[in-house]
Amino acid sequence: MNSIMSLLTVSSPPSEVDWASKSYLVVDDFAGVRQLLREGLRSLGAKNIDQATSGGEAMGLLGRTRYDVVLCDHNLGEGKDGQQVLEEARLRNLVNPSTVWIMVSAEKSIESVMGAAEHQPDAYLIKPITEGVLLARLNRVWKKKQVFRLIDQAYAEKDYLRAARLCDEQIDASGVHEIELLRMKACLMERSGEFEQARNAYERVLAQREYQWARAGLAKLRMANGEYEQARQIFEGVIAENPHYIDAYDQLAATCQAMGQFEEACAVLERAARLSPNSVPRQRNLGTLAFKLGNIALAEKAFRKCVAVGEYSVRKTPDAYFGMARVCGLKNDPKEALQWLAAAQREFGGEQGSLGLRSKTTEGLVYHESGDYRRARRSGDELEALLRERADRPDIETCMEMATLLFAVGVRDAPVDLLCYVIRNNHDHAVLLDEVQKLFEKARMSEEGEELIRESCKQASDLMNQGVLLWKTGKLREAVEWMRNARVALPNNQRILFNAAQVLVSHMQKYGFDAALAQEANEVLLQVDRLQPGQQRFAQLMEQLVALMPKEEAPAGGAQQAA
Amino acid sequence: MDESPRSHELFLFLASTAHDMKNSISVLSGTLERLLADAPPAAPAYPHMAHMLNQTRRLNNQLMQLLALYKQVGTSAYPFDMQPIEVGQLADQVAASERVLLQSCGVALEIDCDPRLVWHLDEDLIIGVLAHAIHNAANYTRDRVRLAIAEVDGCLELRVEDNGPGYPQAMLEAGVAAMTGLGGVNFLTNSAGLGLYFSSEVAKMHRHRGRHGTLGLENGGAYGGGCFVLTLP
Repeated sequence: MNSIMSLLTVSSPPSEVDWASKSYLVVDDFAGVRQLLREGLRSLGAKNIDQATSGGEAMGLLGRTRYDVVLCDHNLGEGKDGQQVLEEARLRNLVNPSTVWIMVSAEKSIESVMGAAEHQPDAYLIKPITEGVLLARLNRVWKKKQVFRLIDQAYAEKDYLRAARLCDEQIDASGVHEIELLRMKACLMERSGEFEQARNAYERVLAQREYQWARAGLAKLRMANGEYEQARQIFEGVIAENPHYIDAYDQLAATCQAMGQFEEACAVLERAARLSPNSVPRQRNLGTLAFKLGNIALAEKAFRKCVAVGEYSVRKTPDAYFGMARVCGLKNDPKEALQWLAAAQREFGGEQGSLGLRSKTTEGLVYHESGDYRRARRSGDELEALLRERADRPDIETCMEMATLLFAVGVRDAPVDLLCYVIRNNHDHAVLLDEVQKLFEKARMSEEGEELIRESCKQASDLMNQGVLLWKTGKLREAVEWMRNARVALPNNQRILFNAAQVLVSHMQKYGFDAALAQEANEVLLQVDRLQPGQQRFAQLMEQLVALMPKEEAPAGGAQQAA
Repeated sequence: MDESPRSHELFLFLASTAHDMKNSISVLSGTLERLLADAPPAAPAYPHMAHMLNQTRRLNNQLMQLLALYKQVGTSAYPFDMQPIEVGQLADQVAASERVLLQSCGVALEIDCDPRLVWHLDEDLIIGVLAHAIHNAANYTRDRVRLAIAEVDGCLELRVEDNGPGYPQAMLEAGVAAMTGLGGVNFLTNSAGLGLYFSSEVAKMHRHRGRHGTLGLENGGAYGGGCFVLTLP
């Protein structure tokens, strides 16, 4: 049991992984540290080492080469920081799931505490880095990736139930990975809408230790179950215990919002933004909420910060630009508002399908709010023309905003069509139906509105019921065809989408696997998961679908097993 | 906290300077380790380089401790990061980071632990505490240091023992003071005060079911010298 210095690594033999054959990227703005890291890696036998002095340079190299290991300093001076490089590399798929990403920093930061950030590196290293610690963390990450390899693969295929079973198979015998496997299982169960099982996994963690993420996980489940008050209390407890657990603030704010406590939600987000200001989504949420509450000064501060933080971030959002335009409108400065809209067009023009619609809507609202009704009407007419040019419609929120503007400037048919579209695609969403009815009332169309809503709901359920009837009577070919057409008419109706996937799966279960049908079912399911994640029916259908797939010879990405 | 623009500016300077200092010390200590690892121990420069490494690591430990204290280690304001860690990996990392330093002053390190034992702790903080304790022991021992980690009465006991003459009475009292928070004066006058204070704050941050970690100094142990004992619930 005893071992003397010279037999240093008793518990992890160095021969475990062939680190010499791997490719490395070292990112640090300080030449001395780059050299030190390079020498450290060379002493592991590494020959293939690239280096970058800035986030931008790192992105260039990551775009050309798939590295096995990335050692990236968090603080890179001007431009992107290490976290932004990581986020962009992951979102643009420039790194493999097997890539080991180690974030290096001078000191422990609140963002580095486990579970605080959405895109976590595989490990953090605090300077000064010694070879021994570097090797130990590399080996540990490698081992963990081996344990999670099949789970991550199932997760990437969105077969959450299979991934959860794979977790179960390893939990008892896993020792040091038990907590992380339970965490993964809880997350998978949450995404599958199996809240009771998610709760069990979190409780198992808490029976061992008071991990704040597990406690917060219980609160999230309460929230999903509509128990907002209980969720609020747990989140507040987590924050009292650990004031730097930032995720709890964001969740607490969402809970307050769900309870209609917007002032409280805004105050919570403001605190979180003070502690950890460099998050695009947080600043955006804060700005939006403050704007809704009429706190224009706070909204402006948050939107400006959101734009600044987003400058080098792949997560930058046009929302902040539109928000700034509205703020300028309320400050009676339509000229600057238009500049923000132009900036949004410049920054995001190529990528966002609904950008033109949103930009035109915001323009109209800005004119309307600053009292220039003539120009507001012109924007409304132009928006109407834009809508005539295209068949597809954007997300609910944008549709509602467009309808609001169009009614305000005196247009009738276009907003009615938009609202009917919203209803047909969400015919069983009671809260939304109320909101739509309120818009009708504001436009002095109460009775007409009620009738339109009733009619739209009926159209949707008729389409669905006919499909269900075909399915139940075993006319699967006809059912597939019917649901396909229903989907064209109502592309964002979740119940239609689920039923469409169901008939496709049933068809394959009866007549055998068909690559085109499987592909179609997969797309339909991904669409519904985008609209509203965490539904039981999604996970169940996904599992049935994946089970129909012919077994592959070998798992993809054989390089992962190269060691 | 005072949020005047000036104090914010000062804070940014402190943060970026600390970052720079860390980089410089990293490079210094890394270069010295490399030079020492390649140099024959009989070379005339060897003891000088060993001394330089010793002092550089001392600077580093103190800077690390000061930064942690600045970040209010010991209070809930510190970004405490508990994770399940295998005790063997913890010991390996401590040993690896102290390897060249110990070799250069001719001290052998013995590790005694069940490598598969898993405990929940903030790895970076505990490595910092143990590295400091081993460095300190290396300065007072004759030729050996022992790192022993075991589960004792439901707690994890981490012992750093040496075969030197043991702690003088004043140090043993400073150890008690570090834990009780009494006799702060002792601390400031004692050169080991910062390290002990830091270690005791780290110990206290580790809490579980109403218990928290403790720090103790004693004489005896396997070698009959000084013992630094960190106990975590």
